[in-house]
Amino acid sequence: MGVAAMKNKLKVYRAMHDLTQEQLADKIGVSRQTVIAIESNKYLPSLGLAFKIARLFKVKVEDIFIDEGKEDENDN
Amino acid sequence: MIVMDRKKYKQLRAAVALFVSAIVGLAVVRDSYLLATAGVLTGMVFMFLVRSKAKIRTDERELTIQEKAARMTYAIFAPTIGIAAFLMMLPTKGGISVFSKGEWLFMETLGMVFAYLTLFLIVIYAISYHFFNKRYGGGGNEE
Repeated sequence: MGVAAMKNKLKVYRAMHDLTQEQLADKIGVSRQTVIAIESNKYLPSLGLAFKIARLFKVKVEDIFIDEGKEDENDN
Repeated sequence: MIVMDRKKYKQLRAAVALFVSAIVGLAVVRDSYLLATAGVLTGMVFMFLVRSKAKIRTDERELTIQEKAARMTYAIFAPTIGIAAFLMMLPTKGGISVFSKGEWLFMETLGMVFAYLTLFLIVIYAISYHFFNKRYGGGGNEE
């Protein structure tokens, strides 16, 4: 069974806070590749990381990560 | 505490391994057990100090990749080696393997090794599955 398809506005929030991918990666404790993968919707972050990102931008998780409702077979 | 990412840790580990292998190589040339032991112990102590003094930051995406790769490796390796073991020990004439004579004699032994290897792999998988299942809340009847 797949997971719910997600879209995210990480790139938008990162631009709003004037952060580079490298800076964001350092702040949330992941690699730059992970930030790139999340931004391009190739990798779905864990709940812990999603909350970390939301806390960093001082918004709710659902403001950044949007559940599109349908199931996606390409889970991670 | 120093924070080190996984990539840097891997580079450091490779450098230490290179150093240890150079020392061991030198020890072999000089026929010195002491030098080899000292080299290996130095490497081990250094890596232990690095692990205890530095916090190694693991990337969750990398962990996911490792999990998937491990699962795929198991899914491919276990049946392949199991089938290979079965074929090598396949009895044909009066319960004797087709390979159990002449120059092919080693094949049956190899098949036996493969069979035990497969069993070992399955046992390790079962034990670790049981362990992680318990660790992540499985197996209980609590409501």
